[in-house]
Amino acid sequence: MSTVTLTIDGRTVTVPKGTTVYHAAARLGIEIPIFCYHDRMPPLGACRMCFVQVEKMPRLQTACTLEAQEGMVVWTETPTVVEARRGILEFLLINHPLDCPICDKGGECPLQDNTFKYGPGASRFVEPKRHFPKAVPLSPVLTLDRERCIMCWRCTRFGEIVAGDHALKGHDRGYRTHIDTPPVTQERPSKFIGNTIAICPVGALTSGVYRFRARPWDNRPAPHVCTHCGVGCATWVDARGGEVVRVRAREAPAVNDVWLCDVGFFGYDYTNHPDRLRTPYVREGGLLREATWEEALAAVAAALREAAPRVGALGGERLTLEESYLLSKLFRSLGSNHLDSRADSRFAPDSRRYAWGAPGGFSTVDGAGALVLVGCDLTEEYPVLWLRAKRALDRGTVGFAIAPKRLEVEPYLAHSFVAAYGAEADVLYALARAVAETRGEGLGPLADVDIQAACAAAGVEEAALRRAASSLASASPVLFAVGRLSLDGPEPDRVLAAVEALQSLCGGTLWLLRGKGSAVGASVAGMVPDALPGLASLQDPAPQARLEALWGFRPPSEPGLSAAGMLAAASRGELGVLYVAGADPARDFPDGELWKRARAGLRCLVVTELFWTETARQADVVLPALSLFEREGTVANLEARPQRVRPARPGPAGARADADVIQSLAQLVDRPMAYPSTDAVWEEMRRAVPGLELDVPYPLPRPKPRVDVRPSHDGAGGLPDALVVVPAAPLFRQGAMASRCRGLPELSGSPAVVVHPQDAARLGVADGAEVELQVDDGAVRLRARVADQAQPGHVLVPVGFLEIPRAAFGAPGLRVRLRALVPSREVGS
Amino acid sequence: MTVLLRHVHEPDQKDLDGYVRRGGYEALRRALRELSPEQVVELVDRSQLRGRGGAGFPTGRKWSFVPKHAPVKYLVVNADEGEPGTFKDRTLIEGDPHLLVEGIALAAYANGVRTAYVYLRREFYEGRRRLERAVAQAYEAGFLGEGILGTDFSLDVVVHPGAGAYIAGEETALLESLEGKRAMPRLKPPYFPAVMGLYNQPTVLNNVETLCCVPWIVREGPEWWIAQGPPQLYSVSGHVNRPQVVEAPLGTTARELIERAGGMRGGRKVKAFYPGGTSSRPLTAQHLDVPLRHEDLAKLGSMLGSSAVIVMDETTDMVRVIARVCEFYRDESCGKCTPCREGTVWVTQILERILHGRGRPEDLHLLDSLARNMTGTCFCPLGESVPPSLRAGLEDFRDEFEAYIRGAREPVEMPVRLRLGAPAPGG
Amino acid sequence: MLSERAQSDIRALRARYPVAQSALLPALLRAQEELGWVPPEALAEVARLLDLPVEVVAEVASFYTLIFTEPVGRHVVQLCTNVSCLLSGAEEVRRRVEERLGIRAGQTTPDGRVTLLAVECLAACDQAPCAIVDEQRYGPLTPEAAVRLVEELP
Ligand SMILES: Cc1cc2nc3c(=O)[nH]c(=O)nc-3n(C[C@H](O)[C@H](O)[C@H](O)COP(=O)(O)O)c2cc1C
Ligand code: SF4
Ligand code: FES
Repeated sequence: MSTVTLTIDGRTVTVPKGTTVYHAAARLGIEIPIFCYHDRMPPLGACRMCFVQVEKMPRLQTACTLEAQEGMVVWTETPTVVEARRGILEFLLINHPLDCPICDKGGECPLQDNTFKYGPGASRFVEPKRHFPKAVPLSPVLTLDRERCIMCWRCTRFGEIVAGDHALKGHDRGYRTHIDTPPVTQERPSKFIGNTIAICPVGALTSGVYRFRARPWDNRPAPHVCTHCGVGCATWVDARGGEVVRVRAREAPAVNDVWLCDVGFFGYDYTNHPDRLRTPYVREGGLLREATWEEALAAVAAALREAAPRVGALGGERLTLEESYLLSKLFRSLGSNHLDSRADSRFAPDSRRYAWGAPGGFSTVDGAGALVLVGCDLTEEYPVLWLRAKRALDRGTVGFAIAPKRLEVEPYLAHSFVAAYGAEADVLYALARAVAETRGEGLGPLADVDIQAACAAAGVEEAALRRAASSLASASPVLFAVGRLSLDGPEPDRVLAAVEALQSLCGGTLWLLRGKGSAVGASVAGMVPDALPGLASLQDPAPQARLEALWGFRPPSEPGLSAAGMLAAASRGELGVLYVAGADPARDFPDGELWKRARAGLRCLVVTELFWTETARQADVVLPALSLFEREGTVANLEARPQRVRPARPGPAGARADADVIQSLAQLVDRPMAYPSTDAVWEEMRRAVPGLELDVPYPLPRPKPRVDVRPSHDGAGGLPDALVVVPAAPLFRQGAMASRCRGLPELSGSPAVVVHPQDAARLGVADGAEVELQVDDGAVRLRARVADQAQPGHVLVPVGFLEIPRAAFGAPGLRVRLRALVPSREVGS
Repeated sequence: MTVLLRHVHEPDQKDLDGYVRRGGYEALRRALRELSPEQVVELVDRSQLRGRGGAGFPTGRKWSFVPKHAPVKYLVVNADEGEPGTFKDRTLIEGDPHLLVEGIALAAYANGVRTAYVYLRREFYEGRRRLERAVAQAYEAGFLGEGILGTDFSLDVVVHPGAGAYIAGEETALLESLEGKRAMPRLKPPYFPAVMGLYNQPTVLNNVETLCCVPWIVREGPEWWIAQGPPQLYSVSGHVNRPQVVEAPLGTTARELIERAGGMRGGRKVKAFYPGGTSSRPLTAQHLDVPLRHEDLAKLGSMLGSSAVIVMDETTDMVRVIARVCEFYRDESCGKCTPCREGTVWVTQILERILHGRGRPEDLHLLDSLARNMTGTCFCPLGESVPPSLRAGLEDFRDEFEAYIRGAREPVEMPVRLRLGAPAPGG
Repeated sequence: MLSERAQSDIRALRARYPVAQSALLPALLRAQEELGWVPPEALAEVARLLDLPVEVVAEVASFYTLIFTEPVGRHVVQLCTNVSCLLSGAEEVRRRVEERLGIRAGQTTPDGRVTLLAVECLAACDQAPCAIVDEQRYGPLTPEAAVRLVEELP
């Protein structure tokens, strides 16, 4: 890379060509004040704060926009510069209310700091100030004080350049310019608005949740990691007086860069919530009663001892790696491999062949020639990963989507296919055949694929598919991201086979984007039925020996049961104890019937939880847990990248960390474990799992793709004129945690079932009207939204709300009847 | 003998027949038959034609910046004519629309352009009707469209309406507006429109009058053109008897232009005049004999700009005029950069206070200081158009300001509310 | 809310440009031609017709003074008040018209007949003081002529 050498304030610096003077100065430790410039967005040059003087250039120059040139001589503190900066600050302050003592930003405000350092002593402004209504709530979590706004355009540009959601915009013009949302109601709130609060250089945008709760200097920050989804964004968690008051992004270029989504940004209040469980409960005479820890643990231990090895454990997304490791070790010591961190999934393929996660790490997307999203609703599932994907798309990565619903990011994708539910595989096979044809190579098994028939089955346009194929054929490397919409769909195995067929032609990387929190980490730590920690083969002698040396016993080598397998076994009375750590299968397992039978067949259901979840209510023993804000250890995201968390607050008295609970149980079942500290567990785990390193993605398996053309199961049929349910969990839903965070329930709003305009016309459903969904054993009333979001004949049902448990609507291929409660006159006329 | 305005008053000049009868489209025929695109650029370069939109940049040079072999290039015609006092482009569009169409075709041929957009300010309702008619006639006659005059040169012309924004006349803001965005100027450098313009493709952007000069240059040759003056359109308005567009050789004095516009109303004396629209520094009676051309005006700290000469007689309230000019820039500022967005409001607030009879002696020093803080600091020239008027006011008409401050003049009410439902400044 | 005709015109406008967003101003003007102004629902409809985020349509509409995002009267009178017209008596014209209509510039008569706007230079200083009523230009105007002009508007 070529470089240029320039002089700034008499000191010489050499920087890569293309570096701005602002950054060159920063290298020398010379600070140039800025407002509009933000280093994650291209320079704008609007605020005019960063003036410098450059020899041989007539005007003052803005350092943020000026590219350093060879031999340039720059001065940052000449009298002209000082005067110009003072002038700009004076302009910025004339209409600013100067209400710093009551402003959330006070103490960490760039405007305050720059004024102190570079500003005029006093304002010469004697005119009436511009007035706007104060503190306008723009959303349930966002408050705008337009008088404080200095129109730096950071927030609007964030929405255009970084998030692509256009959430905030400059309205009107000139001195009347102001930040606003459109005058039309929006169906979808921004998922990233917290970032605008973080980058606003003044107190104009503040958090509706954090407002007035603390002053920055009173906050105690702890380094943490968000576990709401699987991205694992690095955070700072600020606590004040033992209460978590704020979450901020912690810079982690490889993971979240400097961003968070709004669930991460605003989703912390649950930890402070009065509903938190504070004491164990034990079922006695059919009723749960308060118990001491000794009683509760003794009950669990007795049940485990009695039923072993017919005992199983579910969970991991909310556990630290250390805890998952200990939990798997405990159960393996009892002779059971019935372990699964995929607690909310029916589909549990070979975890060594189809490991959940993003092998190669998120940075794979940065250099991808094509990104193929298969049933992967990035913004709803892994929002911050979308920011990285968008950056790649902006730089030339070609985007593809094949999904049973229209993705919010469709405008940014070159090729997008909304397929019939389950028919994603048809589209993929057709693509594969078309790619092979383009390449002029032999078709092999793909010769069986009939493109025209496949397109018809999926309901996509053949010409568009061929265009996509020719674009895909020339892209490299290709990144395939298969997501929940397909993995929880009717034919996940066939979708994976089809993706592999395509991958075998295009090469590239396959991601299975599934799993929240530390679920992927838990699978690496040992919470899978068919592999040893590190996802090693159960039969592989080397890891077996390694574990035996560390553990003092040889782990069982027979594969255990997956989540679905455990529930099936339980329903047959073949599993005695199910230990559920931080999961809610009663609501989330996509087969409510199976769960009910499993519960009935279990001798003992143990749950460690923060709240009275549905599963906790049905448990025999309930153990109050600490939230992750209150524990320490390591968590690992989709990349299986272990990151450290430190407790931000003490938990409620009476609750215990899962690690403590597991160790106490181990003691009671005579498999004692004695770890002096969490670090000691981590150290042992690193020896058990070679390759496990802090802050480095663990090498997840990357099997060689194989070509296998499978026919469709063709499960159609069922109720005539019934609609296929596509269950889709939106980012803003109302689970046990989110519903207890200020702001988030309002963001999720009341759930609406999305009906295709054709079906709406046929059924007389008007946009916004109330409808009834008739399922086997009952009916659910919901608001309907009429929109072209899926294929005709499909309804999108938002799961993850109290009124819409996944368990009721999760069965793949479920069909429902839909009835308009208020027949509409407008529709169809 | 006029050139640019020669036929604007002929009623049938607006029609293809009239235009062709008077030699119209001869230049295009000649260029397509005899000249390579490079030769057309060279003719324009030799004519020393300078842009008539305001910046006065040599047109031939501008065209030479356009990359030769770019696959897609655009021509954008700046017909946003918004600089106060300027009405020459409207006069050309309404009176001789085919001249513009021919100029467009020649510029497109010279620069290898396939599509041209005319960004026409919304208020040119009549101009739009006439231009669209001329474009349709030109298509029909084979001067536009596929394979023009049997050659392989093709050109489409799209007339695009603005929607009320002076800043959209600034070339990069115009491109943003044409792309359907808020008309906010783009950062330049590094990207100039010639290299990265409309839809990020190389783009030639010229003013209406500039393009109307081109057919004449191609038809009669650069030497002839220069010998005609070269012809320059001055929009002469204000306190003259017959405000009008005057065609005169570049470098004509204000005294002569006033004469050509029928002399001063009521025979009164000149107090001041803007030589190049309200963005230029107004000059005083002592400058009546300065040649109005780029170099001479630059020496006086003013400019030729859009060559709009606004004449003010001895009865003119300069404080009122300057305040009105500042209000204009306040309301037309796009709001992107700090000094323009905030400076224009503050300055206007002070001026209005002075006019209301509530001025303070220190206000003049403050205005001077704010003018300084707005000079060389704005993102684009719009905000920098305020200081020249302010400077002139404080230096040449200081006594008028002081009279208001002393209470020696009747306070003036400033009631203007310039936008639908817009709040008053500060309120 | 837009007629079929307007919708198909807007689709045709879209096809004139290589990038759909370029059709935004013409499309908004087309909507306004039909509705007199551009209410929020029309912003949403234009957004849909051009496949643009409604946020973008709204921010753009709000920038331009001749896109009316508030209701206007049946007639819109644009009185030039810039320097050349000011020097030729535009203030008096404006005062008299305001007086006659009983409103200030920027407002609409209560009967919804006329919206009066004080505007910037209309590039017709040879006809100062000048005005544009709906799509027709008038000038030079005496105060009396201007008053008569607005009086005669249906
Ligand atoms: C604020 C501002 C407004 C402008 N308005 C116009 C205008 O209305 N018409 C015009 O032709 N040029 C206008 N210009 C000048 C253009 O930016 C540009 O220089 C010109 O259109 C180039 O064409 P030319 O080289 O043929 O003059 C304006 C410039 C600025 C800074
Ligand atoms: S709200 Fe904040 S980030 Fe947005 S423009 Fe205003 S000061 Fe900048
Ligand atoms: S930081 Fe450089 S202009 Fe704003």
